[in-house]
Amino acid sequence: MTVASQVKQTLANLKGIQGTLGIYSVKSQDEETKTVFNEAINTINGIVEDLEKRIQTLEFEEPQYEGN
Amino acid sequence: MGDAMQEWIEILLRSFSLLVLVLFSARVIGKKNMANVTPFTFMSYIAIAVISALISTKVIKNIAFGFIALGVWVLLPVAIDYLSIKSKLIHDIVIGKGTVLIKNGKIMEENLLRARITGEELLRDLRSKNVFNLADVEFALMESNGEINVFMKSDKKPLTAHDIGKKVAPRSESQTVILDGTPLNEPLTSLGLNQGWLKTQLDKMGVSIDNVFIGQVDSSGDLYVDLFDDSINIPQPKVKEMLYANLEKCHADFMKYALETKNKEAKNMYQKNEQKLKELKEKLEPYLLR
Repeated sequence: MTVASQVKQTLANLKGIQGTLGIYSVKSQDEETKTVFNEAINTINGIVEDLEKRIQTLEFEEPQYEGN
Repeated sequence: MGDAMQEWIEILLRSFSLLVLVLFSARVIGKKNMANVTPFTFMSYIAIAVISALISTKVIKNIAFGFIALGVWVLLPVAIDYLSIKSKLIHDIVIGKGTVLIKNGKIMEENLLRARITGEELLRDLRSKNVFNLADVEFALMESNGEINVFMKSDKKPLTAHDIGKKVAPRSESQTVILDGTPLNEPLTSLGLNQGWLKTQLDKMGVSIDNVFIGQVDSSGDLYVDLFDDSINIPQPKVKEMLYANLEKCHADFMKYALETKNKEAKNMYQKNEQKLKELKEKLEPYLLR
């Protein structure tokens, strides 16, 4: 596996976590819990953006693996 | 024969009307638990019971006199209860104050005498509160109903999350949404859910609602079920634990990338986000793991 595809996997993982956190934030009855989950989603958003930028650079550096 | 017949009917009528009367006066007297009534209330209960038994079996011939006595024993305790709520003085006279039996870890012998309990009885009551060492007790109080309540020395008290400075997620009680194979609509709607949601969840587990004895939804919205058929093992919700494991994996990935990359800028980005994920993990731990 190339670095780019590994990073892409981590990105997918992070997005999955975001989705599940979203579900729990909607499902939970408690306001404090909701806030904590929503803040977590925002934090992960920032990380996802950084990671996407990095993937662009990686694909530029190793164009033969683009799309993997 | 005719007289005996009449008497028979009279006793039946008396008993029946008194039963109804006592039923209603029990509602008037209130909802106190039998186990923690004060001696006075206990005696008034007995008086009511005895008087009504005497009226219904015609021991008290004059029904009017009987009802006067019954009325006094029902209404006066209610009136005294009401007054003792309003006035501290009457409360202390009628219901009495608690007696301090142990203070600063030392037994107050004269108070023991005043409460008329022996050392043996004190030890027995402490044991029933799961206290076997007198040395562990900081304070003990005999309530007006005779119950003994104990305050342990601070190093002998059970550890709480607050003591170890650990944050725990707020958690409210679970709602029962299935009972005996029947979905309960009221708790479902109070959670903002419906039977369609319930059906989806049960389909996911692969069980039919007829097989569910009790189903509860916890405060995070996960469904827990107990089945009639105990030979079936169903997966219980582990989504939050998986989520946490996933988060840990992502954290590890970032650490790895930070070590592997030669690019200075990328290394900084990975390290910064690794730190973020670490903080996130710590923050979410109480909510995801129990």
